[in-house]
Amino acid sequence: MKGAGIIIRKELKRVFGDRKLVFSLFILPAILMIGIYSLMGNLIKSMESDITEHVSEVYVVNADQGFKQTAKEMKYEEGANVTYLTDAEYASQKADLEDKVLNGNAELIVVFDKDFENTVAAYTKAGDATPAVNVFFNDSENYSSQAYSVFSGVLSSYRTNLLAQRLGDLDQLNVFTQNDQRIVKEAKANNRFISMMLPYLITMLLFAGAMSVGVDAIAGEKERGTLASMLLTPVSRDAIVVGKLVSMAILSSLSAIVYAVSMIVAMSVMGSTMGELAENGFGNVSFGPTQCLMLLAIMLVMVYLYVAIIGLLAVLAKDTKTASTYISPVYIVVIIAGMLTMFNSGKAIPTTRYAIPIYGNALAIADLCSNELTSVNFLASIGGTLLLAIIITVAVGRAFNSEKIMFNA
Amino acid sequence: MIKINNLTKVYKLGKKKMMELKTTNPEKIAVNGLSLETREGEIFGLLGPNGAGKTTTLRCVATLLKPTDGDVSVCGFDTVKQGADVRENICFLTNEIKLDTNFTADYMFKFFGELHGMTPEAIEKRQEELFTQFGINEFKDKKIEELSTGMKQKAAIAVSLVHDPKVVIFDEPTSGLDIITARVVTDYLKTLKEQGKTVIISTHIMSEAEKLCDRIAVIINGQKACEGTLPEILESTGADDLEEAFFRLYKQYNPEN
Ligand SMILES: Nc1ncnc2c1ncn2[C@@H]1O[C@H](COP(=O)(O)OP(=O)(O)OP(=O)(O)O)[C@@H](O)[C@H]1O
Ligand SMILES: [Mg+2]
Repeated sequence: MKGAGIIIRKELKRVFGDRKLVFSLFILPAILMIGIYSLMGNLIKSMESDITEHVSEVYVVNADQGFKQTAKEMKYEEGANVTYLTDAEYASQKADLEDKVLNGNAELIVVFDKDFENTVAAYTKAGDATPAVNVFFNDSENYSSQAYSVFSGVLSSYRTNLLAQRLGDLDQLNVFTQNDQRIVKEAKANNRFISMMLPYLITMLLFAGAMSVGVDAIAGEKERGTLASMLLTPVSRDAIVVGKLVSMAILSSLSAIVYAVSMIVAMSVMGSTMGELAENGFGNVSFGPTQCLMLLAIMLVMVYLYVAIIGLLAVLAKDTKTASTYISPVYIVVIIAGMLTMFNSGKAIPTTRYAIPIYGNALAIADLCSNELTSVNFLASIGGTLLLAIIITVAVGRAFNSEKIMFNA
Repeated sequence: MIKINNLTKVYKLGKKKMMELKTTNPEKIAVNGLSLETREGEIFGLLGPNGAGKTTTLRCVATLLKPTDGDVSVCGFDTVKQGADVRENICFLTNEIKLDTNFTADYMFKFFGELHGMTPEAIEKRQEELFTQFGINEFKDKKIEELSTGMKQKAAIAVSLVHDPKVVIFDEPTSGLDIITARVVTDYLKTLKEQGKTVIISTHIMSEAEKLCDRIAVIINGQKACEGTLPEILESTGADDLEEAFFRLYKQYNPEN
């Protein structure tokens, strides 16, 4: 393998000696990632606060004194602009009001039956009349849905008040109390979000990284005629293949790390603005040293496989454009393999599936996050990927030795 | 030094290539039973029209292509079985094979020196010689992409000679160069010859072959039509100058024209 080290050094120098390349490979993706995610987080947050802060336009027909009292106690009118209407007024404006709700100019129409409270009070035995309240809202409008759920709260207090008036003691309605206690593995619950996203992100980002450095390192050099000059040195073609693949692996791991770190930074920016994600456990993944090593091992074999695949397709292609065309279907397969793990029903997965390259790695990473990865499945996932990667590396070596492929001869 | 023995190279054409060449024959015989031998300390020229098989022959010598039939040896090493040994002893220059333009000539020189297994001191010494010879020192720290064609060509030549090879193979040495740069290159080829190196070039420029080459092989349709010193060729064809000799041979090998 004499010469591989020299080639690796040159490849690294090529990237790190070029400020533009460093920027576009490592810095720009980080900026974009953090930028997009924080923007997204802020947008979601401002949308949410906008909805809750919005003063809703509510029309209440035939409201009795008891309701008005409840609404006042609950300070309902602080967040809603309530217009009380009589039956007659409502009858004349009905179509108009419904139109307003439909078009998002008003949020809610609430119509109490006439003599609502009197009818409630007159109830003595089963079969007596019970009054109705009709609530009209538009659940295709965020404001209206929000107004509906807030109003439901008011109605429920109103109901409790009326019940208390009728029964005196509300406790006799309590037949039993239900106490909920969750029994879960703490790690699994904490990291549900991560274990859902992480395998997908890792499988995808590692590939993206390898793709961005690999195409140019092989297909680009072939296209520009600079690869041939290396083939004219006494260094064996196998050493050239090793040099290329190892340098691609180093660079793509670096770019994957950049992606991963900026993703975590971005997520925590988003998480802290939304609260929600942080609660679901992003940022407090507690990986022990063994888990870290396992994750590292899985990621390394994945990088190796990706680099081998991309190396093979890049050397088969006559230029960078063709190489990208060959690689995109593989990228799609990789993305799908990563996504499949997000829809896991929780049924036990047979070990053989862990041996499927890429998909098996994603499964293993998901298990790792929820602390469920068995050593058998871990070895299967490493072994399957490694085997395929070695086979492909041999194929890359063959391709480098083929004059048909290297010189189109 | 270079021994080409009955070399035949057949390209297998893909469907696309066949369409391009408007042929139904899936095979293209680029070199057809070619034999020749070069001596130490001479400049040997392959003279032939476009598509004659010059580049193909030189690529076989440079171990980039494997002969379909026959064999080639350089300094006693077989190009197929002892490729690495052959590559220790040659440099191959063409227009298609280039230096990575993202680097400086200085870095490329050191990079290839290392790939040839040279020590840093040896590389340094050699760089001093060659960069002075070709006047590269002024732009050695510029990225190659910023250089003019002539400067690039000079840098490529210097870099390919880093390991002081015994055999220099040059496919169309002066193509794309102005008279001045071309002169620098041809003068250097003569210097190499004087140092006892074997130089083999391909060309379709008659004057270049006349002035530069000690011996010439006229290649037509992948075959050797004639070989010898200029006077020998003129004598065997009965022509007054090389151009005339070339036309006669060409007619002889392409009777339909
Ligand atoms: N990669 C290839 N695949 C198929 N045919 C090829 C290939 N390279 C060259 N040929 C064919 O082989 C023949 C010889 O080509 P070659 O390049 O050796 O000619 P040449 O003498 O160098 O010509 P020129 O003076 O134009 O450079 C030509 O007919 C060419 O079309
Ligand atoms: Mg040619």
